Amino acid sequence: MNAILENFDKIFNVSLVYATFRSATPIIFAALCAAITQQANILNIGTEGIMLVGAFTAVTVSYFSGSWFLGIVAAMIAGAIISMIMAVGHIRYNSEICAIGMGINMLALAITKFLVKAIFNSTGSFSSPDIKAIPRVNLAFLDSIPVLGELFNDWCVTEWFAIILIIFLQFLFYKTVWGLRLRAVGQFPEAAKTAGIRVNSVKYQAMLISGLIGGLAGAHLSLGYSTQFIENMTNNRGFMGVAAMYFGGANPVFTALGCLLFGFSDSIGARLQAYGIPSQFVLMMPYIVTVAVLSISMVAKLSAGRKRESALHSGN
Amino acid sequence: MKKRMLSVVLMAALCVSMTACGSSSEAPAETEAAGGDAAGGETEAAGGEQAAEGEQSGDPIRVCVVYTGNLGDKSYNDSCNMGAEKAVEDFGIELKSLEGTTAEEWEANLVAACEEGYDLIIGASSNIADYITEHGPNYPDIKFAVIDTTVDLPNVESISFAQNEGSFLAGAAAALFTQKTDIKNVNEEKIIGWVGGMDIPVLHDFYTGYEQGAKYIDPDIQILQAFAGSWTDPLKGKELTLAQYEQGADIVMNVASGTGVGILEAAKEADKYAIGVDLNQDGDQPGHVLTSMVKRVDNACYLVIESVVNGTFEGGSTKYLTLAEGGVSLTDFSVMKEALGDQFPQDIVDTCNELAEKIKSGEIVVENYEGFGPQA
Repeated sequence: MNAILENFDKIFNVSLVYATFRSATPIIFAALCAAITQQANILNIGTEGIMLVGAFTAVTVSYFSGSWFLGIVAAMIAGAIISMIMAVGHIRYNSEICAIGMGINMLALAITKFLVKAIFNSTGSFSSPDIKAIPRVNLAFLDSIPVLGELFNDWCVTEWFAIILIIFLQFLFYKTVWGLRLRAVGQFPEAAKTAGIRVNSVKYQAMLISGLIGGLAGAHLSLGYSTQFIENMTNNRGFMGVAAMYFGGANPVFTALGCLLFGFSDSIGARLQAYGIPSQFVLMMPYIVTVAVLSISMVAKLSAGRKRESALHSGN
Repeated sequence: MKKRMLSVVLMAALCVSMTACGSSSEAPAETEAAGGDAAGGETEAAGGEQAAEGEQSGDPIRVCVVYTGNLGDKSYNDSCNMGAEKAVEDFGIELKSLEGTTAEEWEANLVAACEEGYDLIIGASSNIADYITEHGPNYPDIKFAVIDTTVDLPNVESISFAQNEGSFLAGAAAALFTQKTDIKNVNEEKIIGWVGGMDIPVLHDFYTGYEQGAKYIDPDIQILQAFAGSWTDPLKGKELTLAQYEQGADIVMNVASGTGVGILEAAKEADKYAIGVDLNQDGDQPGHVLTSMVKRVDNACYLVIESVVNGTFEGGSTKYLTLAEGGVSLTDFSVMKEALGDQFPQDIVDTCNELAEKIKSGEIVVENYEGFGPQA
């Protein structure tokens, strides 16, 4: 404990801020991928699989084309294809979305493993100097400013884009006609149908966009956060994204806050381990936070729901 | 009707995905691994010629290696696989490799291998030891081998390493390196780092040596330690390593199999330094890996297969490969020498060679973590 107090300035320094955001970004993309379908009342448990396929596609296309941008685009298309498979199964044939999602996750794991072997003749992982990474944004004028320079310089392009995407989705959900329709479909499909909204069409659109975001999440993981593909490199980040989405009630801003909480617990853990806190405890922290955060948000949701109900009754 | 067709299609897709899993470990052996770094081209190969000394004449000896992690880690598992592949070439054995990332998979793979009736089953790491202890007695006719730890059963041969001795040298090298403030991005603070995969006793044996070696050079040095909790999460490894750099470390030792790929990548990204492990990783991120603590897992794997081929397999025996026997060593620093040119601190190499001689002669006794060492 003393060691922690002595090294307080080394644990809580400026770099912790960026470290938090850095480890949260992949989860933010995953959470947004799950949030848009949740608004249409579809639980996209396949986020993990979509991300993994996206990560693989991004590395493959970047390697062969020499362009990180093409890599991202291809990853988004691949994500969309996977999500469309899920959408057809769920919307057209009415099968259980959780079952399809888990199927997709397992398929993604197996097929990427197979393709790494088939395309690159390598087992388990693939890395090469020819994989073009997503560039980092270096703002020259920030270099001379001490704290701001350390905080905001050399962010990955997709990390900046994550912030834009959060704001854009917030606007899309709550300030546009399409967003209103999306939420109507999610909350009360019969009413939406009566109002002349084509429910299934809106659901397909939500799944499509979700796939695009999920693919981008994967591309960020394999070309931005790191420059390689490794079997199962998502390592449950997709599921943590889904948990954060629940925490934020599918509201992009609150969801992102949940992700930052995960990122923070992860980064602080990485720093605390160095000073004798048992690794087992530190590695448990993100999951404890997940359970705690979900419980709190569910309790809040229940009590809000009860209030609304009683208001209805008193109205009668 | 449509629903039924869909379910048939989905079943077919599932079958395809399963064969996809299977065939990835049964790909043909013709293709060469590209560039040499992507080790483990094929995982199942039956040699054409049968070794004369084989116990059963006729069929080749069947060997199964159960990994606790994946191949492609460019570290521990790949090293083990290299030894096994060499045995395929030299003795014409039949080889099967089973990979797995979770404890349930490891146990299932081991039991599956036992049921398949292989002649020799090699547990590639200490993670598998408990399962061999549990299931080994049920298959008395199968020969087992375990690398990196000891299992005390009559049909199990154990091979472990003096990783503490190799790590002592790595720790000394790191402690000397962090004093070279004229090298780019080496700061004033005397802090070095260490990132491990799973928190298991073998890694503590590494750390014990690393700490002793670093403190031998500089008693005031501070060592940051972290575990990723996984052998297969390089992103976690990268995050932990970046955190240690941000806390003032200049050089971080990687002891993390597949997770370590991220450790070395962090060294490159932060423009700092790392020490590789198991295989020679100096060239993985040239100019950022000072040296590697090479652990000859390939030799261990090869030797145990050879002993079965020659009929000299000794169940219940323990081998302990030390620095003096070439079981562990540092690389020759050549990649770093080239990268730094005139700036390269030659005294690190000289000191390490000196220390190695002292360890071999017994002048320096490197401590072991509890339960490790020649007697264990």
